[in-house]
Amino acid sequence: MNNNKIVHRTILLLAFLSLGFILVSCYPGETLTPADTDVVATFYKPDVDFSTKMTYAIPDSIARVDEDGNPISNPGQFDQQIINRIKQNLNGLGFTEEQNPANADVLVVAFITTTTWASGGCYSWWYGWWYPYPGMCYPVVYTYSTGTLLFAMTDPQNQSSSDAMWVAGINGILEDTSTGIATRLNNNIDQAFTQSPYLGEGK
Amino acid sequence: MKFNKIFYWLFLVTVCFLIPLSQGFAQRDTWFGAATYQVSFPVGDTKEFTDATSFLGFGLDFRYTVQKSTTVGMAFGWNIFHERTTRTAELATENPGTITGTQDRYLNAFPIMANVHYYFGERKGIRPYVGLNAGGYYMLQRFAIGIVSLQNDRWEWGIAPEAGVIIPVDRELAIMVNGKYNYAFTGESALGTDIKHSYIGLNIGIVWQQ
Repeated sequence: MNNNKIVHRTILLLAFLSLGFILVSCYPGETLTPADTDVVATFYKPDVDFSTKMTYAIPDSIARVDEDGNPISNPGQFDQQIINRIKQNLNGLGFTEEQNPANADVLVVAFITTTTWASGGCYSWWYGWWYPYPGMCYPVVYTYSTGTLLFAMTDPQNQSSSDAMWVAGINGILEDTSTGIATRLNNNIDQAFTQSPYLGEGK
Repeated sequence: MKFNKIFYWLFLVTVCFLIPLSQGFAQRDTWFGAATYQVSFPVGDTKEFTDATSFLGFGLDFRYTVQKSTTVGMAFGWNIFHERTTRTAELATENPGTITGTQDRYLNAFPIMANVHYYFGERKGIRPYVGLNAGGYYMLQRFAIGIVSLQNDRWEWGIAPEAGVIIPVDRELAIMVNGKYNYAFTGESALGTDIKHSYIGLNIGIVWQQ
């Protein structure tokens, strides 16, 4: 092979390799703002006939649990707003509130978990609610102090059961200004019901 | 890290194949190679997952001329699809789910295929061709939402019909332009739903020939 051919081929090879390096360096990034971390996830049991669940009871407080699942006595600034917004959505779907849980078709409970995500990993306790495949949980690289609001519909006649017939999880609500959190809470609670058209009269 | 590892493997394959490339294109019992830049347009289920044109892609072709107008060979590629969206997604879980939020959806498709091509025209002239690639795709899919990322990496069997043209520049170099319809027969998304990835690639590159 003469020198010209070697030079020719080397240039082509370098050009191709450059293209490869450009591709690697151009791999799309993952920059997120706090609002971008908001997630609204809802799950339901497919064997439940939600059209028969038209009355609800809801506690007037929100439980808080730490990352080990233990309750914390620490009422939050937005608890009443959250309860009111949940009620507003339920009523809008045709539900009627019952003061006595024994008379209600469903008991709606809300709780908040707080934890700091210093690095990768999954928070299995809440994660298990909305995606029950821990093997599918992969490390992530974001670092946020993140809160998760969950509200679930359970059977008031069968409180020993841990199965919720419907559960909504809202993640990412503790990073913002107070005004921002209030707006995001309302929007995300509304979204949880919007993406659950099988509830109430929407069935 | 995984992408760097794949890139280095592609580098090794490239070096191994380029060094002996000193044979002529379309001469019987000879090899020629091609490197292409690829723009890909998602269609079908792939468009549902990442509805964005991919401008990140490249491919390598190695073809052996078995007859005057026929080659057999291998094709390798890498096509990166990415979309940031806030669309609502359905989750195929035991208890059905729906999820909303800012999502980064990625698909890295690595086609690895054997192929056969038939060429029209004269050996030293412009040569349109048609061909069929058959083999599979290694699909790396990632669905990142909030602070959670779901990933599904799978091998899928598939085909890629192809049509193109090779335009000689000089005795050793030619330009290749082609289109491929990439279609995987099977598949499962990062969300657990059954999908069959498909995309159309428009590719342009260089051909080494004697």
